[in-house]
Amino acid sequence: MAAAVVGDRDVGLGARAVVEQVRALGLRSIRGTLRQPQVWLPGLLFPMFIAAVNTSAMGKAVEFLPGFDGVDSLLDFLLVASITQSVLFGGLAAGTDTTTDIQTGFFDRLLASPVSRTSILVGRLMGASVTGALQALVFIALYGAFGVRIAAGVPGGLLLVAYAMVLALVIGGFAALLALRTGSAEAVQNMFPLTFIVLFMSSAFFPTESMEGSYRSIASHNPLTWMVDGMRYQVIVGLDWSQAAMSLSWTAGLAVLAIFGANRALRARLRRAT
Amino acid sequence: MTAPAVAPPSVFSWVPLALALGRRSLLGIWRIPAAMVPLLAMPIFFLVAFSGSFSSLLELPSFPTDNVVSWFAPFAIIQGSAFAGFGIGFATVRDIETGFYDRLLLSPGSRIALLVGPALATAARALVTATAVLMVALVMGARIPGGALGLVMVLLASMGTAVISAGWSLGLVFRMPNQRSGPILQLVIFVCTFLSTGTVPLADQIGWTEPLARLNPLTDVLALARQGFVGEVTWATTWPGLVALVGGLVVLWTWAATGIRKLTP
Amino acid sequence: MSHPIEVEGLVRRFGDIVAVAGVDLVVKRGEIFGFLGPNGAGKTTVVRMLTTLLRPSAGVARVAGHDVVSAAGAVRRSIGVALQDAAIDPLMTGRELVRLQAVLHGIGRSEADRRGDVLLERVGLSAASHRRVGTYSGGMRRRLDLALALVHEPSVLFLDEPTTGLDPTSRMALWEEVRRLNREGTTVFLTTQYLEEADVLAGRIAIIDDGRIVREGDPKVLKAAVGHYRLQVTVAPHQLATARQVLDAFGDPRPSHDTTVAIGLRSGPATVSVALRALEDAGVPVEQVELDAPSLDDVFAEATGRRLEGSAIPDESGRE
Repeated sequence: MAAAVVGDRDVGLGARAVVEQVRALGLRSIRGTLRQPQVWLPGLLFPMFIAAVNTSAMGKAVEFLPGFDGVDSLLDFLLVASITQSVLFGGLAAGTDTTTDIQTGFFDRLLASPVSRTSILVGRLMGASVTGALQALVFIALYGAFGVRIAAGVPGGLLLVAYAMVLALVIGGFAALLALRTGSAEAVQNMFPLTFIVLFMSSAFFPTESMEGSYRSIASHNPLTWMVDGMRYQVIVGLDWSQAAMSLSWTAGLAVLAIFGANRALRARLRRAT
Repeated sequence: MTAPAVAPPSVFSWVPLALALGRRSLLGIWRIPAAMVPLLAMPIFFLVAFSGSFSSLLELPSFPTDNVVSWFAPFAIIQGSAFAGFGIGFATVRDIETGFYDRLLLSPGSRIALLVGPALATAARALVTATAVLMVALVMGARIPGGALGLVMVLLASMGTAVISAGWSLGLVFRMPNQRSGPILQLVIFVCTFLSTGTVPLADQIGWTEPLARLNPLTDVLALARQGFVGEVTWATTWPGLVALVGGLVVLWTWAATGIRKLTP
Repeated sequence: MSHPIEVEGLVRRFGDIVAVAGVDLVVKRGEIFGFLGPNGAGKTTVVRMLTTLLRPSAGVARVAGHDVVSAAGAVRRSIGVALQDAAIDPLMTGRELVRLQAVLHGIGRSEADRRGDVLLERVGLSAASHRRVGTYSGGMRRRLDLALALVHEPSVLFLDEPTTGLDPTSRMALWEEVRRLNREGTTVFLTTQYLEEADVLAGRIAIIDDGRIVREGDPKVLKAAVGHYRLQVTVAPHQLATARQVLDAFGDPRPSHDTTVAIGLRSGPATVSVALRALEDAGVPVEQVELDAPSLDDVFAEATGRRLEGSAIPDESGRE
């Protein structure tokens, strides 16, 4: 087999071919996700359940406690949290699917084909990103049916979708990184509690203003707090580009970091394979 | 070697077997201490996260304490105990899938041992979880005005919850002996623990959760566990919790006992 | 005096699927009974019913004189079972497992330790008895599994594919142990998908296919009944077709590899020389000759129209 095929550089493929490969691999990834309801269903239902329980059990908080200015119902407050939680959960699939590909040998088959190395990763992440958009739309529609109105209107909704798409790149990138480094689905699954901790120690479920002590200072310095707050501003208060920019730039920055790491992990695995 | 060498077992011959099986269930803790980590980490994380994120909830009118750690520690213990019961169920799935469970089913003795053994192990595991969470809670500043009796109550509730949860888990696993039972087990335990007074007292719940939490027997168990953390231990709070525990034990261990008969003649 | 295993009209359905469709069997005291069949034929289902692990949908089975449903406990006391894949807890040591197994059968601790010592010695695991089973090799696990099955000194021993996945040396060692047990009086019910294993060990066999017993009896008698020696010749590739044509007159084609032609000799081994001469006359030089006595596979093929071994080799006759 020629070095051009197994080597780690994309050789002799036109841009159109690469785009086509990314599309095909991205579609495969989305299809793979949709065909496994046991993968994505908990990622939708779990955040919904938490939001539903909290809205009812802790609903009084919006009247009595600090940090809920302008919030009618706790559900308004939790929309961004639910989207974030769902995307963080679903994005892990990008990692576990990659480990499945490695274990079943599909990954080797890809490598043995003249497919562009970059499209393997980009295809997977595009799939995760589109899935993220779908998740955001589901939550906006569903919570909308229960009376949640995005103050920033349609542009605000689009911002939420964009946020979900970029956030999916962050988590998908980190999951793929771990998958490519370890090849172990268990290692990727172990990210789940970690994402949960990061989520909890942020303003996602409750405003930082209502927290105390060191917990409050951790939550206020958690980048996820800035990402969530910037988006929540659009839902609660109204369209604000500087808030949106703060949220999206943090998300995009982390996405760049994750993809960079995943790409390096891919190259490392390719080197080992040759 | 032509005649059966072993006499038919006596009425209590299941006791040594139950102890042996309980011992085996706990072997994992000694041999792979890391396996205990999720069992401890989850309730401790919930304790830290709930106390941190929802500390201001205590400003709501009906909270009986102003110490957030005291409020959430019993909830974390009960939830951790419920998941300890799930752990036994899931370990049984693995035993069934590897075929190890066949070895146990081939035992000529009574099936009681196959149920009592894991129940004992679950109670022991719950005790480990409860102790660990308690220590973290005390370090975080929890107070137990109910004193030693309060501690007894929370440990009782913890072990009871774990054994009830093990009954639920084993009953389902015997009827659905594969990994797919895992998410169902967890989901039900998760829903039951959250649709309670785990985070907020009934009087401050404003929506659909209030009637469900009121009906949920776990609310009584939580009150039993929590009373020593928010005040004195009283009989009025104790007896509904005990009734809930006994009721849960009877119902769910009947479910487990009828389940094991579905596995073999 | 009843037989150790008596089965009448045993049926097991899983939903609409009939896994075992009416099996009748008798296993006599002191014999090694081989239970043969391809994967999915119903072997394991029958064993699970006989060992009380699965309730029959219909029919009656008595093991060691007890009904497997109404007297399951009595059956369990009398049988030893070494299960497929030697399911043992990797976290436990060999000795701990023997002890647990003894407790499972209501044996006291000191007696359990005494028997454990003897059995572990017997299967050559004394030195490894304090190691966790997770560190054992496949052969060691099977031997431990066998020792576990013997802790309560059963009168009937069930071995479900005891050597699947073992290397030839471990397999021979296990066979020797089974023979020894049998000599000491244990009745053995052995399932296997290895024809050789049944041939070497079993005094009587039954072949199950698609949930039914299709042949039963002494392997020698069964083989003699289908009775074709298998002749296989190796020739130059371009002469394969001619060789096949010539040999067609001497017997039906049998599956074989690329450069060989095989037939079942219709008139016995005496016609080998005639067949070889016919090839020579046709101008086909023979590079190599092999002659095999009829095998259990022939018995299986005759009974089912399919072959159990070498199913990966295309049947060139096209007569599956």
